[in-house]
Amino acid sequence: MFGTVYTGFGYWDVTSWILFFGIAAGLTLWLRAQGRDDYKEGTDQDEIYWSGNVVPEDGEDISVPASSAYWGFRKALEPYYNRLIGMHTGIATDIVGFYVLVVAFMAVFILIA
Amino acid sequence: MINFLLEKYLDILPKSLWVTTCNSGSCNGCDIEIVATISPRYDIERFGMKLVGTPRHADVLIVTGPVTRYMRDRLLRIYNQMPDPKAVVVVGNCGASGDVFYKSYNLDGPVDRIIPVDVYVHGCPPRPEAIIEGVAKAVLKLESLKEGNQKKAGEAVS
Repeated sequence: MFGTVYTGFGYWDVTSWILFFGIAAGLTLWLRAQGRDDYKEGTDQDEIYWSGNVVPEDGEDISVPASSAYWGFRKALEPYYNRLIGMHTGIATDIVGFYVLVVAFMAVFILIA
Repeated sequence: MINFLLEKYLDILPKSLWVTTCNSGSCNGCDIEIVATISPRYDIERFGMKLVGTPRHADVLIVTGPVTRYMRDRLLRIYNQMPDPKAVVVVGNCGASGDVFYKSYNLDGPVDRIIPVDVYVHGCPPRPEAIIEGVAKAVLKLESLKEGNQKKAGEAVS
């Protein structure tokens, strides 16, 4: 059960794995201990830095969505995207239905070929 | 442990100063000079200082601008987010006195009305050498805090 597995490129065994896990954990904890621990808990020093603003409950109001970067692209292909988005209802049965349809088409093509 | 030994036996600050900045309504002239201090010509990293992007890691806060109403709460929050001990350096005439914007309707500043200031660096904008000297003087404030002689709010080193 705890034997050594030889892969042709190296080996794996439980003892080595635990040893290296311990070394990695020790390194991680040492790095973490180098951080500042002199801040006062429960004050603003404990809060997330959000460019001086109050951290919002929901960041959606003040964040710029990644889709903004593709605005021109989406505008140019609007008819295509409208159709795609219309098809994506988010309902699992619809997704399975598409899957069945695609498999059926592929099966037909394969059978004909 | 190393920090403790340095402080106890060598009686020096255990780390180099890390500096963060807050533009409280500046025209960006002072901020450009601050950026010049990290350029190869002035190179504040010779002294171990560097600009950091968050007050959570900073020892010194450099403030530029005369503090507009909109920036008052933000400046205060940034100051409060810095771990102790900390020092504040005002860079530029606007932050020091309001300069040409003094008593303007949209100002809550100058900076020392909002947060305690330790070093004033005058100029419009100040030269990078002056900014570096100002930050270096903040070391005195931090060392005095270490010795337990906490300076009163607003008392300037220079």
